[in-house]
Amino acid sequence: MTIYSLYIYDRHCACVYYHDWHRTRRPKPAVEGGILPAVSQAVFAPAVESNPSTLSAYGSPRNTLSSASGVVVAINEMNSQSIASPLLQAPPSPIAVSSTGLAFDEEVKLVYGVVISLRNMIKKLSGREEQFVNYRTSAYKLHLFETLSGYKFIVLSDPGSDSLRFLLRQIYVGPFLEYVVRNPLVAMDSKEYGVDNEYFRASVDRMVRGSQFFP
Amino acid sequence: MAIFGLWVINKAGGLVYQRTFADGLAQLTSNEYLVLAGTLHGIHAITSRLSPIPGQSSGAQVIEGETFKMNVLLTLTGTKFILLTSPAETSSSIDALLQKIYTAYSEKVMQNPFHTPEMPIRSEAFDVSLGALVNTGH
Repeated sequence: MTIYSLYIYDRHCACVYYHDWHRTRRPKPAVEGGILPAVSQAVFAPAVESNPSTLSAYGSPRNTLSSASGVVVAINEMNSQSIASPLLQAPPSPIAVSSTGLAFDEEVKLVYGVVISLRNMIKKLSGREEQFVNYRTSAYKLHLFETLSGYKFIVLSDPGSDSLRFLLRQIYVGPFLEYVVRNPLVAMDSKEYGVDNEYFRASVDRMVRGSQFFP
Repeated sequence: MAIFGLWVINKAGGLVYQRTFADGLAQLTSNEYLVLAGTLHGIHAITSRLSPIPGQSSGAQVIEGETFKMNVLLTLTGTKFILLTSPAETSSSIDALLQKIYTAYSEKVMQNPFHTPEMPIRSEAFDVSLGALVNTGH
């Protein structure tokens, strides 16, 4: 069994976190402004050097808290890509990666659109408050776990896997509560920043790699 | 173990046949079914593009809720058969049943000279053979 990628969305339809593992077919980097800062370092648009004024307007107060400074669990800024963190085990794997042909910000919107449409369809068809659980194609399976506060945890796995809702729930009650909800430096619900930070990423990574589903 | 209903969606995303076999799901109006079928048609196309691995992916084949699941059979001509069942049904028995339904569709609907392709299906013979298939299988 394999786990490919994890998306976390907040109640404003914004992707606030992204992480992938054995993904051999990647989206193109997002266009500038297509996704929030602090979602994932792997899929950002290349930093634009020519426009430091707009960057520093939002960036500077947080850059002083950047994760390079030690134990402070601050938000990963998109320009701090060069910082190699000892917490994060493996950088994206060097195996050949093909492209989906979609930019990351478009992919994020498609995933959200599919999940919301299916969720509404399941509710309508059942006539009660019933959750959409997962769907499967010939190549992958998508699982959804939604919290009461409207955060949606979505994971893509291989099509043969069992339900991974419990794993998503574990990520929610474990790393998410510990390093995002209980972290005063993370601006939750801000519509301006994602929730990516070093400890959360490392903790999610450890949890997924440690699970029985990880090859 | 239950089979709740069957939809047939033509290649343009229009619902051409809808039938309920068992209670358990909400009763919707035909307009609501039309909207859901159109949505499913769009979602089906998107899901095949979200694959994280190289190679072609099919569209969604099984969509699961907590108390029921939707099984999708996409034929070569683009017609989709959606079977709504309880989650306990095994995928092999559902696939077999969907294939039999497809056969019944070919024989009773497509071989009917008075049927217009891509238009709603009004065929008593198809109704009868569907009823027989669903009842004998379970």
